[in-house]
Amino acid sequence: MVRSDIIRGHLDSIILRLILEKDRYGYEISQEISIRTNNRFQIKEATLYAVFQRLEKKEIIEAYYGDVSHGGKRKYYRITPLGKAYLNELVKEWSEVKEIIDLFMEGLE
Amino acid sequence: MKKIKNHIDELFKDIPRNKETEMVKQEIIQNLEEKVYYLMDQGKEQEDAINKAIVEFGDIEDLKKELGVKEPEKKNMAKLNLEFSIWGSGLIIVFFIFINLYYTPHTIWAIYPIFAILWWPLSMYFVWSRKKWSE
Repeated sequence: MVRSDIIRGHLDSIILRLILEKDRYGYEISQEISIRTNNRFQIKEATLYAVFQRLEKKEIIEAYYGDVSHGGKRKYYRITPLGKAYLNELVKEWSEVKEIIDLFMEGLE
Repeated sequence: MKKIKNHIDELFKDIPRNKETEMVKQEIIQNLEEKVYYLMDQGKEQEDAINKAIVEFGDIEDLKKELGVKEPEKKNMAKLNLEFSIWGSGLIIVFFIFINLYYTPHTIWAIYPIFAILWWPLSMYFVWSRKKWSE
């Protein structure tokens, strides 16, 4: 499993990408992350809710209550136009970072 | 499912109760319950499923920060203590000197109580500087 502190700075991107595809709720997101990474990265749920809080305050995502399951209402998140712009920035930034780190990491081993 | 609620209540016990935190709490409980049902569908016993959900939940420090819980600030009382001891001992020393000069101007005895009282600011100074060094 990957060290979570390296991924930590990119949690926003991961979560926003998943919400961009379709509106999702908390557990769905954590499950989706585990499935897509084949369990190589599992997000701690507690961290997930901290990210939701932060992004919601910045109006990058917004929440609404959806269907009822197992006695509770699911809280879904959707990405806002501001969020889409932010994600765009993150994508650009990431390709830049990747290039820079690759300069030093490639060709070793 | 009571166990999940209790666990989350326990995690949230330092967080001030308001509408916002209550909503986050409900959301977390709802999602954890969903996870438990999912794990049970996968063939886990309820007890195991609940424990797994709780263990994987992680710690709540980041969330606390987002919800604006400030670490209780430890007030630095050492400085106040020192100031008080200086003013207090100063007054007592002046008082002894005055009595000494006024009633028995030819015998100096005030030096003894003054030495005794000086231990007060001295010890407070010690506490204060030890605090400063450990910061």
